[in-house]
Amino acid sequence: MGVKVQDYREFMDEVLVDENTIGKRVAELGAQISREYTSRELLVVCLLRGGLTFTADLTRHLTIPHTLDCMSLSSYSVGRYASSGNVRVNLDLMTNIEGLNVLLVEDIVDSGRTLAHVLQMLKTREPRSLKVCVLLDKKYRREVPVEVDYVGFDVPDKYVFGYGIDIDEHFRHLRFIASADMQKYRKTS
Amino acid sequence: MQDYKDFLEEVLIDEKTLQNRIKELAEEINRDYAGKDLLLICILRGGIVFLVDLMRHITVPLQLDFMAVSSYGAGARQSGGSVRLSLDLKTDIRNKEVVLVEDIVDSGNTIAYVLEFLQTRQPSSLKVCTLLDKEERRETPVPIHYRGFSIPNKFVFGYGLDLDEHYRNLPFIAVADQKKYRTPE
Repeated sequence: MGVKVQDYREFMDEVLVDENTIGKRVAELGAQISREYTSRELLVVCLLRGGLTFTADLTRHLTIPHTLDCMSLSSYSVGRYASSGNVRVNLDLMTNIEGLNVLLVEDIVDSGRTLAHVLQMLKTREPRSLKVCVLLDKKYRREVPVEVDYVGFDVPDKYVFGYGIDIDEHFRHLRFIASADMQKYRKTS
Repeated sequence: MQDYKDFLEEVLIDEKTLQNRIKELAEEINRDYAGKDLLLICILRGGIVFLVDLMRHITVPLQLDFMAVSSYGAGARQSGGSVRLSLDLKTDIRNKEVVLVEDIVDSGNTIAYVLEFLQTRQPSSLKVCTLLDKEERRETPVPIHYRGFSIPNKFVFGYGLDLDEHYRNLPFIAVADQKKYRTPE
């Protein structure tokens, strides 16, 4: 068996957003979205995998009728910091979005490249409206302009994890969002 | 869209009871997997809410992965039908400790198939954690290691379970009165 998974406290730089603050902000976003989509049927699209926790919590604060669908995407280029390539759809929507009000829910927007591609792709299917809700916005890293309609928190250009966001597939289950000191982090084999 | 209160028969499991039980299940998993690395597999889409709440109580090193399944044509989810994988796991589960997380086990046909399929990849262990167990409806036996609640054979919704794709976001599990429920067009 490989090396044991490292305790996150060994490489955590700081807690960027604590559980309580996340909970409050997610509730606010849910209320805002509920107001803005009143009497309009909404399809919430969760972008796996990072968006999972955020979507599960956000939808519980929606007071309007809505349905849920998921998409799984990956990038044709390699590496977390080099997502400049095209987007590959691993799991497409079950729902035909033509004529629907669609809200894309994502954990984090960074360069904006993936998001811009997905939006472009989904627009070809002619939804009635298409908006984006992200929990974290790393504005400083933006390379492609992309319109984000709902933002949970602006975060600095740091390596983040927790609340759905992983490092090498771990630490998604943590209840807060933290930044990592990657010099102290060691990958599990 | 019909308001769920129009067809709500009863709240079967309220939010507090759900959350307490989920915490207990996680604690049981934490004890059983102490000193091990755990992989939780969620079958989309129903299991999402349960998975998210469950994993927040997990204290052992944890990875998540997802599968999406669909059936080959009408009736294939019935007894004996094969299941089509529309999204396979990203992780190779060989020699991994795996727990499959489900919102509900009903006929058991799909999950039995998925278990059989996953076993061929030789995980070191493979267990099932389901929030709800509708045993009365079982057609294929399924070994369940972690069970949230046994429930009667009723038309349930909420907490990840949908009625025509709606109501997944309700924080409780409720029973619908089928005579009052109208399928949206």
